[in-house]
Amino acid sequence: MLGTFIITWRETIEAALIVGILLTYLNKIGQSKQFRFVYWGALWAVIASLIFAGMSDYLSVFFKDIGEDIFEAAILFLATGVLTHMVVWMHHNAREIKGALQHQAELAITKNRLWALATLAFVGVFREGVETVLFLWGFFLQGGGVTSVALPVTGGLLGIGLGVLMTWLFFKGFGHLDLKPFFRVSGFILLFMAAGMLSSGIGKLVTVGLVPPLMEPIWNTSWFLSERSFLGSLVAGIFGYRSSPSLVQALFYLLYFPITLIWLRRQRHDLAQ
Amino acid sequence: MKRNAAMHFCFVLGLGLLLIGTAAAEDEIRIVIKDHRFSPSEVRVKAHTKIKLLVSNEDQTAEEFESFSLNREKVVRAGQSITIFLPPLKPGSYDFFGDFHPDTAKGMVIAE
Repeated sequence: MLGTFIITWRETIEAALIVGILLTYLNKIGQSKQFRFVYWGALWAVIASLIFAGMSDYLSVFFKDIGEDIFEAAILFLATGVLTHMVVWMHHNAREIKGALQHQAELAITKNRLWALATLAFVGVFREGVETVLFLWGFFLQGGGVTSVALPVTGGLLGIGLGVLMTWLFFKGFGHLDLKPFFRVSGFILLFMAAGMLSSGIGKLVTVGLVPPLMEPIWNTSWFLSERSFLGSLVAGIFGYRSSPSLVQALFYLLYFPITLIWLRRQRHDLAQ
Repeated sequence: MKRNAAMHFCFVLGLGLLLIGTAAAEDEIRIVIKDHRFSPSEVRVKAHTKIKLLVSNEDQTAEEFESFSLNREKVVRAGQSITIFLPPLKPGSYDFFGDFHPDTAKGMVIAE
């Protein structure tokens, strides 16, 4: 019971923190009325996780071996693109969004972009969700006596509940603190999330042999921060941290920033003209 | 125009990586998951050689093959098998585990 509790608790915190960061970001740009975009994304992810995990037996041909990784990589790349696009757009329109957003037309444009947040919440929750459902579903399939199913499943559900509660308290607690420094960098934090998703997607393709690691590992920082530790697992889940990454993953992670910054600059240039 | 060029660049880069990725032969190693344990739990491989790890799950439940030292994680659904590619390893031992049953599903890749 304790084992399942800890596993689902950890997965839930990873997903819930992503949702929390997105909500904080919305709050920062003065769009706390639009929280529902994030909630919808998260809700659909839970539903999709159930369907995806449940249908796996019927779709086994498609999901056999590398199919699933290609699918997951595609989702991660999509999320990277959407996230980047949104941050770049928000960056340019931050002033207008905060100020004169009373106009309906502008609001509609903003709403259009906020679907990006729903997508991100979806990807963040879906990633952990499929794993959690497969994991818990295993206990039902294992069968045995009622107690042998009930205990681990109860533990798992308690883990999910506590994970959500803890993350909620964490962000709630933030409400009473002066968070100006955090708000200032939260756009930046989203970029780290995007880079993490990009590099995780590449990692999936490396695992199935479609992309060469080039060199692996390029370093080992597990002495400093191991994914086994609680903090390490969170940093891995949210920012894509790997203690022994391949060169190709590190390259994509590191190149993401200059490429995005160039994009930011060019857009500013275009606007100026 | 510039965006087009960037897209072409990404496409060529992707295609190139794909080609290098599928080239070169590798040693094949088989691992079976049964009763939430890996068998064999100790896998000896040649160092400095690419390895293709075939993991088949004979349990009724899903498992996740995971290793931080090898930087790999992949779900193996009940009754299915997966292929995991490992890079040429330096001599040494690399632990892996089943993330869904970490108490029993433990193993080690030993490169020598």
